[in-house]
Amino acid sequence: MIVEIEIDGKLINANTGEMVIAVTDREGISVPRFCYHKKLSISASCRMCLVDVEGAPKPQPACSTPVAEGMKIHTQNEKAIASQKAVMEFLLINHPLDCPICDQGGECELQDVAIEYGSDVSRFSEGKRIVAPSDIGPLIQTDMTRCIHCTRCVRFGSEIAGIMEMGATGRGEELKIEPFLAEGITSELSGNMIDVCPVGALTSKPFRYELRSWQMSSVESIARHDLVGSNLYAQTYKGNVKRVVSGDNDAVNETWISDRDRFSYEGLTHENRLLSPQIKVEGQWKEVEWDVALDFAIKGLNNNILNSRNLAKLGGLASNTATIEELHLMQKLLREIGCENIDHRLNVKDLNNTIHLKSTIKLIELETIDQALVIGANLRLEQPMINHRLRKAQLSGANITTLNVKDFNFNYKVDSHITSPNEIANTLAGVLKALIDKTKQELPEYLSEVMPSEQSVAMANNLLEANNSVLILGEHLINNAQASSISNLTAEIAKLTNSSTLNLTATANSLGAQLVNFMPNSKGMNTNEMLDADMRAFILLDVYPEYDFHHSATALNALSSDDMFVISLNSFGSELISQYSDVMLPMAAMFETSGTHMNINGKAQSFRASVGAPGEAKPAWKILKVLADLLELPGFHYENSAQVMSEVAHQSTQTHEYDTSIDLSKQTAMLETIWMHSPYQSDVLLRHAKSLSASQIGHMNTASMNASTAQALSLNNKDTYLGVPVEIDSIMADQCVFVNSNQATNTGGLQ
Amino acid sequence: MISDNAKKQINSWIEKYPQGKQSSAVMEALKVVQAENNNQLNHDLIQAVADYLDMPGIAAAEVATFYENYNHKPVGKHIIRFCHNISCMLTGADDLISHLEAKLGVKTGEVTEDGLISVKKVECLGACVGAPMFQIGDQYYENLTTDKVDEIVDGLK
Ligand code: SF4
Ligand code: FES
Ligand code: FES
Repeated sequence: MIVEIEIDGKLINANTGEMVIAVTDREGISVPRFCYHKKLSISASCRMCLVDVEGAPKPQPACSTPVAEGMKIHTQNEKAIASQKAVMEFLLINHPLDCPICDQGGECELQDVAIEYGSDVSRFSEGKRIVAPSDIGPLIQTDMTRCIHCTRCVRFGSEIAGIMEMGATGRGEELKIEPFLAEGITSELSGNMIDVCPVGALTSKPFRYELRSWQMSSVESIARHDLVGSNLYAQTYKGNVKRVVSGDNDAVNETWISDRDRFSYEGLTHENRLLSPQIKVEGQWKEVEWDVALDFAIKGLNNNILNSRNLAKLGGLASNTATIEELHLMQKLLREIGCENIDHRLNVKDLNNTIHLKSTIKLIELETIDQALVIGANLRLEQPMINHRLRKAQLSGANITTLNVKDFNFNYKVDSHITSPNEIANTLAGVLKALIDKTKQELPEYLSEVMPSEQSVAMANNLLEANNSVLILGEHLINNAQASSISNLTAEIAKLTNSSTLNLTATANSLGAQLVNFMPNSKGMNTNEMLDADMRAFILLDVYPEYDFHHSATALNALSSDDMFVISLNSFGSELISQYSDVMLPMAAMFETSGTHMNINGKAQSFRASVGAPGEAKPAWKILKVLADLLELPGFHYENSAQVMSEVAHQSTQTHEYDTSIDLSKQTAMLETIWMHSPYQSDVLLRHAKSLSASQIGHMNTASMNASTAQALSLNNKDTYLGVPVEIDSIMADQCVFVNSNQATNTGGLQ
Repeated sequence: MISDNAKKQINSWIEKYPQGKQSSAVMEALKVVQAENNNQLNHDLIQAVADYLDMPGIAAAEVATFYENYNHKPVGKHIIRFCHNISCMLTGADDLISHLEAKLGVKTGEVTEDGLISVKKVECLGACVGAPMFQIGDQYYENLTTDKVDEIVDGLK
């Protein structure tokens, strides 16, 4: 219902139940505040927002006073200003006057409000309160003497991060905001506390004492570490990204970003950056000018491939973190010269057996589902922003069922079913059969032998009863021996139950890669076929074999074979890359190039370069364009990446045929190993971001298995499995190992 | 960490609240656990109570540090809870506290060597009319003077 109220003499329509501050914010009327935050619950504890409401004996807090018909509010009259000034004076009693050495200086809400409402002279001559800082981890710096007890960080923890880590202990003058646990703050969203803290009590640790906010320029950008594409600002100074803060976009990330998106920029200045073009002459690396390196690359291609028109022996592989523009130009270049061996799917064991489910639900719609089935995902760590949406749904009553190998730590209530990788297809087949029984449809042949378990029947019932359900397939299924059947069963279940689906196995910009068809057509070879074939040359776009491939030893062997010519475009160099490459072309990393990223909703978000690339490095789209020019290929006259993108936008997209058959008889391995890189190791920039690596999540390195699996492998918790320390976990599925590792893939290393 | 007997007592408190609201029993639970542990709580005990009530450790710690009746340091057989809020302060509580500290040879928050008495400063105990005042056990002592303090304290065994 709409009510009419009057604020500072202006008539305004407002919705009943709305708080006064929401209306003033919408109308651009400024009311000072500290504890109020639009995405957090109302605490009304700081009293900074006091306004005068006609008829009320005392001034009322705007943040917790609901509007009512005919209400007359004054935000600027004598009574309001006097109360605001009085509150300000109280707040400043204990707040140190250390703005010159405080990192928040210049972007501090207290400082801003104090300028308007504070007095020049303090009447308080007693000693101020001092609070010892606590070390809460490598990401957040605390200076708790500056804390004004607004409890935004506390509410952020319990309401948004879903784990209450900060709290207010003590009372009165002894009141302190602190974490209870010695580990400090461990949430994957913890950095948002820096953004919500109105003062300099919580600031970015990696950014400590670096710069003033006004010295930096803020460039809008897109996070590219997951398939959400969170909106953010890269704050830059003299060509370097100095800090990242979150941007607002309700359809994507609301106003939060994950720690991964916030702190990855630190990797940009790592010493391992590849800074100059290099060529290998008689086994020796030489730094050269760009034109020399590019000529060398072309010559190598000519010698090994083009002169003999041996295009079947050339392969192009790219990381799925590349931009749409980069991927488009690379496939265009390869297809122009007649090469069809193109792929971005590096970590899939069997590319004929994949999860290819479509994602049919918008991120924002995830909040309103009432039933979810999550299979093979540790959502909190793998997709923090998607997990956040699902958490909201659960808190408003949705029932979330998980089928996982391990009892992962969800920050909301889930109905967890520990399920071995090789039982998932059968469980889903049981669900499907139960659904078919219920809806009296014809039973397909492949289900004839299936006996739905009680659990499957219950899941089927839940899905049927739900109004708004979603089926989510996660990254742990990528290499499941029955991936394709799982994918198809899920699609069938979705059809019968009217569920939406979400496929989280297409990570980073994989959807962008599919858009520009960065995959082989029927004549070409896929990644695994290329690695098995006797190739003569490869072009690699930001590929790091020891992390990226399903079986890195095979990849390294293939790349290192005799007579092989490898052109590597990389943002970071490494020992291994120098071993197998013949020419290394330094490319711009995230934040250094313009481009486009496609998120899980098919939303293409373009961004410009926040900073230039270091050293001689160039944006990869330019490198690829020049390579195409040198090869005298037509149609590469681009002046900027936006032109590339508009070409992509006008192109018809290829549809891919996937095997839709369901085969439950397919033999599965006795022991399944699910290898996941720890969330802060999932791409090359993250692997070089030192504060993230130093954090608790960054340290994760375990191979979890239950006691009987350990016994079967003759391992105990002092051993390692594939180089990763064993952790015996009593609540784990049988016959499987779940690796969450911050090291290179098990089979890494040249043999 | 929590004894069976304590669990039984805590459970009887949990039952008084609606299902799923077991964390409402946190104050009583902390009290029960404190009573079984030399009248004192520590980090691990607070965490144990929090785990038992399925609530975050910090939330239990907030309660345990807010209320003065939870002890985080060793306490004596008798605890003198000296009010130092406005009424008591205006009527001389601070001087009386200094007197008491000197007499016992301990600071607020400490225990006498023989373990008999400890002193705590507390907020208003609702007896302003008899300020300055303190509480020992269940007993309020009001309109205190140095002589009266001496007499009461000397009588403690
Ligand atoms: S640390 Fe910052 S956000 Fe947290 S209570 Fe203090 S002032 Fe508020
Ligand atoms: S913003 Fe209203 S009381 Fe703090
Ligand atoms: S102020 Fe001491 S009892 Fe109220």
